[in-house]
Amino acid sequence: MNKNVSVFSLFIGLLGLATLASGLADILVWAGADPGFSIGILEIAGDDFFRWAWGGAIVAFGGLFMLAGLKNTDDLQQSATVLLGAAMVWIIAGTDIFARFCESVPAGEEAPEFFNSLSGFLAGFAPPYPPAILLLPFTLVVAYVLFTRRFDEAEPPSTADFPNRL
Amino acid sequence: MGLTADERWDIIDAITQRTVGTGTYRRTLGDALGDLTIQPLTGIPVALGVLYAFWSIFGSFAGSLVTDGFMVKLFDSSWLPWLQAAWPNPDSILYYLFVGDPAADNCFEAFGALTSGLFVAIGVVLPAVLIFYLMMTVLEDSGYLPRLAVLMDTVLHKIGLHGYAIVPAILGLGCNVPAVTATRILETRKQRFIMMSLLAIFIPCGAQLGVMLEVIPETVGLVMLYLIIGFGIFGFVLDRLIPGSNPEILIDVPPYRWPAWENVTRKLWSRTKGFLKEAVPFVLLGVLIVNVLYLTGVIAALADLFAPLFVTWFGVPKETVGPLVAGFLRKDLAVAQLSTIAMTPYQMITSVVLVSIYFPCVATFVVMLREGWRELLAAIAVLIAVVFIYGGLIHAIGILMGVA
Amino acid sequence: MKEQSNNTTTILMVGNPNVGKSALFNRLTGANAVVSNYPGTTVDYTAGTLIEDHRTYEIIDVPGTYSLKPRDAAEMVAVRMLDEHRDATVLVVLDATKIERGLYLALEVFERGIPCIVALNMTDAAHDKQIAVDAAGLQRILGVPVIATTAISGEGVKHLADMIRKAQAADISAIRSRLNGQEQNRRSMAGCGGCSGCGGCR
Ligand SMILES: Nc1nc2c(ncn2[C@@H]2O[C@H](COP(=O)(O)OP(=O)(O)OP(=O)(O)O)[C@@H](O)[C@H]2O)c(=O)[nH]1
Ligand SMILES: [Mg+2]
Repeated sequence: MNKNVSVFSLFIGLLGLATLASGLADILVWAGADPGFSIGILEIAGDDFFRWAWGGAIVAFGGLFMLAGLKNTDDLQQSATVLLGAAMVWIIAGTDIFARFCESVPAGEEAPEFFNSLSGFLAGFAPPYPPAILLLPFTLVVAYVLFTRRFDEAEPPSTADFPNRL
Repeated sequence: MGLTADERWDIIDAITQRTVGTGTYRRTLGDALGDLTIQPLTGIPVALGVLYAFWSIFGSFAGSLVTDGFMVKLFDSSWLPWLQAAWPNPDSILYYLFVGDPAADNCFEAFGALTSGLFVAIGVVLPAVLIFYLMMTVLEDSGYLPRLAVLMDTVLHKIGLHGYAIVPAILGLGCNVPAVTATRILETRKQRFIMMSLLAIFIPCGAQLGVMLEVIPETVGLVMLYLIIGFGIFGFVLDRLIPGSNPEILIDVPPYRWPAWENVTRKLWSRTKGFLKEAVPFVLLGVLIVNVLYLTGVIAALADLFAPLFVTWFGVPKETVGPLVAGFLRKDLAVAQLSTIAMTPYQMITSVVLVSIYFPCVATFVVMLREGWRELLAAIAVLIAVVFIYGGLIHAIGILMGVA
Repeated sequence: MKEQSNNTTTILMVGNPNVGKSALFNRLTGANAVVSNYPGTTVDYTAGTLIEDHRTYEIIDVPGTYSLKPRDAAEMVAVRMLDEHRDATVLVVLDATKIERGLYLALEVFERGIPCIVALNMTDAAHDKQIAVDAAGLQRILGVPVIATTAISGEGVKHLADMIRKAQAADISAIRSRLNGQEQNRRSMAGCGGCSGCGGCR
């Protein structure tokens, strides 16, 4: 149990650092007027304030929250802080995926038809991805662990000490 | 009447002792999250995140998916050419009123009731208000709004408002009409007056936001920034000028709840129905009236009359008078019309801000009147002062930055 | 509006903000009042009708208020409605998860001697929070019908509609004496049989 917790803490710690770093990187690429940064399937376009500076700040806060909740992860308040950090990443990843979805359903301005072809639709979801989307699976793991653990704890039926007056 | 407050509380104590039993309650993860969204250190970043999600989803759905993806194509390459060909006699007055410019190749520029009017109402504003109302319903039903109110309390107190003023402000982003009545939850007349004036002046409605997103996507952020700054500055000034108190009250924060699907769809439907019934006819009527005013030369006369004010004081072309007239009927229409006038990007920002602040639309005007005519008159006085001062200020900033 | 045919009773829904009055109102009348999870949703009154057992009720949803001394314009509407409809029956809505503040308002309403009925709403939320409110006991003490409801699922709403006709004025001094352990008048109330011990069915 104890060991599990510390492995989990280590995981959150690394994830928090990665998240913080990617949030800061988003902002830096935007501020540095860099034409965009990309390696492999990771890309930080950094072309607009809203997505990269504002959105990057939210990712960075997500990382900070995860780090802040690191100590004592079996404390409820601390778990909630970690979960909140994960949720910040979901905001950015979720809206990014939704934006891709909205852009790939219609065929595009030049095409004569209204709806995109299936392959065109799927191509809209092809890499490269921004860091938030790449972090998404890891944050989901964190949420999964936190939720299942809470359920374990709530198991002893609390109706026993519940004064039945009705 | 008999009892004092203390006597009542005594009775209540006795009653609850006999009828209420509390078991041991374990805090859940949800409760802990709820607390985190109120504490400033975590709450403010979360609020920024919520705002981000709101705007991003709004833009993706209304902008990319519905309007740019389908409506533009539908209206510009099918509806407009068909109507231009089918409507007889391009030189007639009816053609001018309903179809507009026979040479136009898009529905923004044609400016007939059935071209621009329909396009703005159905193609641009309907998807915008739909997604807007959906997200607002989720905010309302989840219980996030009162938490935002707690977070904003300190800031809003600086401009003479209670944190709860955030509720009418956010409702106002959907539509100013219910927002004006919602100011009733503020305690003193001073607070209500400040909020009502600021609401009518600085809060753009969802319809207007939708059009702004479509016609000036790059600068809508700056427009919003100007509006928020104006809200702060004039709130601060009004707070100093208007007598009255600004009491603290406790905000009762309800627990988070999952929005019930049934309630969400019900609200979404009734609000959308309201929009279709009330706003769409107004947009079409607005186009007709403005076209008649153009035809009869009223707008040209007004433009010449106000030219000195517009050109030298606000720094915008005199043609913007036309949209300002339309703006009295519908702000969304006014912004759409502005987008067809040739001007520099900064003039565009200035004129969009002017359209937002210069006068509430008729519907808002009517509810404000219902809340009290004295307040309405005072609000108009405030409004005129604000338009002059702020319009000039924005022009001056533009000159200083070398862009105007 | 007020002078309607004799068999129409006006019911005013009174309660603290955010206790589920509008949700209950929608359930009772099938109307479309706005329901949101923050206090101060309703700022004006809405009327709807309920036909139950050949009786017609005009139900009015009013803004939530903490007491009958209004602090803001919305609460003023609530108090004004009470003053305007002197012959109305009041449906007091309580939030079972925090009944104290609701009872304060309820007592103020009782003091006016108006016929009342109490809906103990949010019983599901109370259950989740491990709070148990004894509706029958409350009914015995207050001497007016108390019905447990859950407005969002509709539980208890049918019963509530059915019981509206049994609304009656509460008597503060009787409440006090019952609280002081003088339960003698309890027996006479139980004589009714049908509705677990509220006072006189007329
Ligand atoms: N869990 C639960 N939630 C409820 C119940 N009744 C209402 N709600 C929720 O409580 C919130 C408030 O409901 P409203 O009906 O708007 O409350 P109101 O009393 O009309 O509030 P004001 O108009 O502000 O005075 C909404 O989110 C409802 O969905 C209930 O019985 N159980
Ligand atoms: Mg209500």
